[in-house]
Amino acid sequence: MKATIEVSGLRKRYGPTVAVDDLSFTVAPGRVTGFVGPNGAGKSTTMRMILGLDRPDAGTALIGGRPYRRLRSPLREVGAMLDAGAVHPGRRARAHLRWMAHSNALPVRRVDEVLDIVGLSGAVAGRPAGGYSLGMRQRLGIAAALLGDPPVLMFDEPVNGLDPEGITWIRGLLRSLAAEGRAVLVSSHLMSELEGSADHLVVVGRGRVIADRGVRELLSAASGDRVLVRTGHRQEAMTVLARAGAVVATTGCDALTVSGVPAERIVALLTGDGVPFSGITEHRATLEEAFMELTRDAVDYRSSRTEAGEGA
Amino acid sequence: MTTATTAPPPYRSTVPESRRAGFGGLLRAEWTKLWSVRRWTLALPTAILLTIVVALLSAAGGSAVKAGGGGGGGGGGGGKRPPGTVHPFNDGGGFVHQPLAGDGTVTARVTAQRASHPEAKAGLMIRRDGRRGAPYAVIAVTPGRGVRLRSGVGTDLGGGSGPVPRWLRLTRSGTSVTGYASSDGAAWRRVGTVEVAGLSGAAQAGPYVGSPSAIKVERRFGGESTSEVPTEGSATFDRVDVAPAGGARPAPWVRRDRETGADAPLDPADSPRAGAPFTLAGSGDVGPDEFARDITETALAGVLIGLMAVVALAVLSVTSEYRRGMIRTTFAATPARGRVLAAKALVLGAAAFAAGLAAAAGALLISFPVMRGKGLAPPPVTEWPVLRAVLGTALLLALIAVLSVGVAVILRHAAASITVLLLVLLVPQIVATGLPLSAATWLERLSPAAGFAMQQTVPRYDTALGPWAGLGVLAAYTAAVLAAALWLLRRRDA
Repeated sequence: MKATIEVSGLRKRYGPTVAVDDLSFTVAPGRVTGFVGPNGAGKSTTMRMILGLDRPDAGTALIGGRPYRRLRSPLREVGAMLDAGAVHPGRRARAHLRWMAHSNALPVRRVDEVLDIVGLSGAVAGRPAGGYSLGMRQRLGIAAALLGDPPVLMFDEPVNGLDPEGITWIRGLLRSLAAEGRAVLVSSHLMSELEGSADHLVVVGRGRVIADRGVRELLSAASGDRVLVRTGHRQEAMTVLARAGAVVATTGCDALTVSGVPAERIVALLTGDGVPFSGITEHRATLEEAFMELTRDAVDYRSSRTEAGEGA
Repeated sequence: MTTATTAPPPYRSTVPESRRAGFGGLLRAEWTKLWSVRRWTLALPTAILLTIVVALLSAAGGSAVKAGGGGGGGGGGGGKRPPGTVHPFNDGGGFVHQPLAGDGTVTARVTAQRASHPEAKAGLMIRRDGRRGAPYAVIAVTPGRGVRLRSGVGTDLGGGSGPVPRWLRLTRSGTSVTGYASSDGAAWRRVGTVEVAGLSGAAQAGPYVGSPSAIKVERRFGGESTSEVPTEGSATFDRVDVAPAGGARPAPWVRRDRETGADAPLDPADSPRAGAPFTLAGSGDVGPDEFARDITETALAGVLIGLMAVVALAVLSVTSEYRRGMIRTTFAATPARGRVLAAKALVLGAAAFAAGLAAAAGALLISFPVMRGKGLAPPPVTEWPVLRAVLGTALLLALIAVLSVGVAVILRHAAASITVLLLVLLVPQIVATGLPLSAATWLERLSPAAGFAMQQTVPRYDTALGPWAGLGVLAAYTAAVLAAALWLLRRRDA
């Protein structure tokens, strides 16, 4: 079986709300695919449809070429963490994993193995899950996903609620899982959470794919060819650059953002016309900026009055 | 694409692939879910304990009014039961007899009968001896129901109607007794043959007159009260003949005392003589007492309380998964939802069955000795109807657990599910006691509460349907609910 998730033409509507609208993408083995979009973009719905939990109105979701419901021993083929809170609070971590192991006839020794991997072994695993912190529950959810040692993994917002140490740990874990040749799909509503772990990004908004690209490509596209110019003589600088065909915008009282003209030529133009400037930097976008740019039109519930609240 | 790293080989799970994850694995998974929540493991022991405690309390509070006495009339007392049997039994009436050493025939003509009760009896009886509850067969004319041939607790054959005078005859051959009726003593019509278990060796045969008490049952919410007024029947016979007569000389006629069962010789002048009319009076009836309390059923009434724990456990085992989204983990692990439902229903049904068995057996074993100490006569627990009630209680709880799983899958909310279940299981029983008998009977037949018929050990005047039929009604409801649950489960998003 090829370790992939193939989603094509997926569509799901809840009453009048279209949650997923003709979504298609592929999660390839050997890399971490980030599944990013604002809240309500349809990420969790898509994951549920991949797992055969929700029935798509149209389209298909295949795991290694087969629909999920056809998998003979699903936990050995796909591991998923949808909701870390989905554990009965009265049940101990070990018992929670044990029933899952029984359901797929997995050897019970896997329970302690995965508890070791996520760092929940020992006394913690013997305590009822109701007393776990959010971070511990995330680890239990990840342990459950790893129980069958599957080649395809899906994590819905795994970084939520983890402390900095936990975030570092999960990044390492995601990278090593992908390095073993597994297909790893990780969703997040914060692009920054995926910085440093994702190789590829599927960005969604309002149930549609906005971008499906490698992280590096995406960053360079978002950065564009913008150059930041610091100068006390904005007016002169703008005149000179506009004449040369650049698009110029003021971004501060002594800063201009210039695009359409490479940095070298800007230096030459300004120097040639004797406009003083204190600095020229090529602009490097963060993933967050790239994300904002991409989803600007796709955010479902942008606050109309307090723009600051949404950061847009 | 800028990623130029060499693609690693496709990953394969290191977990050995076992045989297809079978249904056994699912059962283990559901069983693990059940025992791994500590609160839940307390539910069934609590159900058992509650059931036993209620049985004990009602046994300790019960009183032996009329126990051992009361004689042949009907009535609400609980202790009128021949030793070693389950069925409350009336064994009254007047009986005079001669010995019948082996096979033989008793014949008589009933010339007149006082209509003291529609079921007053004037006829003939063969019984093993005078003891209460001894094996017997009776053929008699009744004012309301024609000729009847009766034996044991359940046999009651009709033999056509016709006015008195009427000829009646019982013929014994081993343990079978055949009854005949005739209008002229020449052309005999066979009413039927009954097997009288235990009718071996010497027996007694002769005229019998009985008249049931007039029973008034007052039904109201939460219970019933019965009051009885004895009636006295009287009938005139002639041509009484027991053949073969015992020995060379005809044996003397003897009258059975219905209180003690002891025999008292009859003055030859008052005895039946060939050709001469003979009048016999008697009060009370012979046969099952349909108004007596069902002691076993009463002792098992605590199950009504215990079942709440079963309902709560079964409902929570489903709704807790929905509430926390764990149902998604369950269905991701096992996409075949029908199998998950079956496994869950089976595990909860089995657990409830075990608890029901322990609760019912415990309730009887603990409360019956207490009743005996108070002068009541509970039936022996080894009798089939009693064992059936114990087994039935276990089956009842098992079905209720499965029904609860189904309702919980449909409704997905604990409070709503528990409310619905307790409504359909308990309310019919509470309401039925306050309804007119016919309405109550239909309510008990048509509601899921019909399953409680499994706890009956004796037929009563208000018995709506038989034990297995009652369980069948509940099973039908359960099957329908499960089918609906399965349909929804497959159709709905998890």
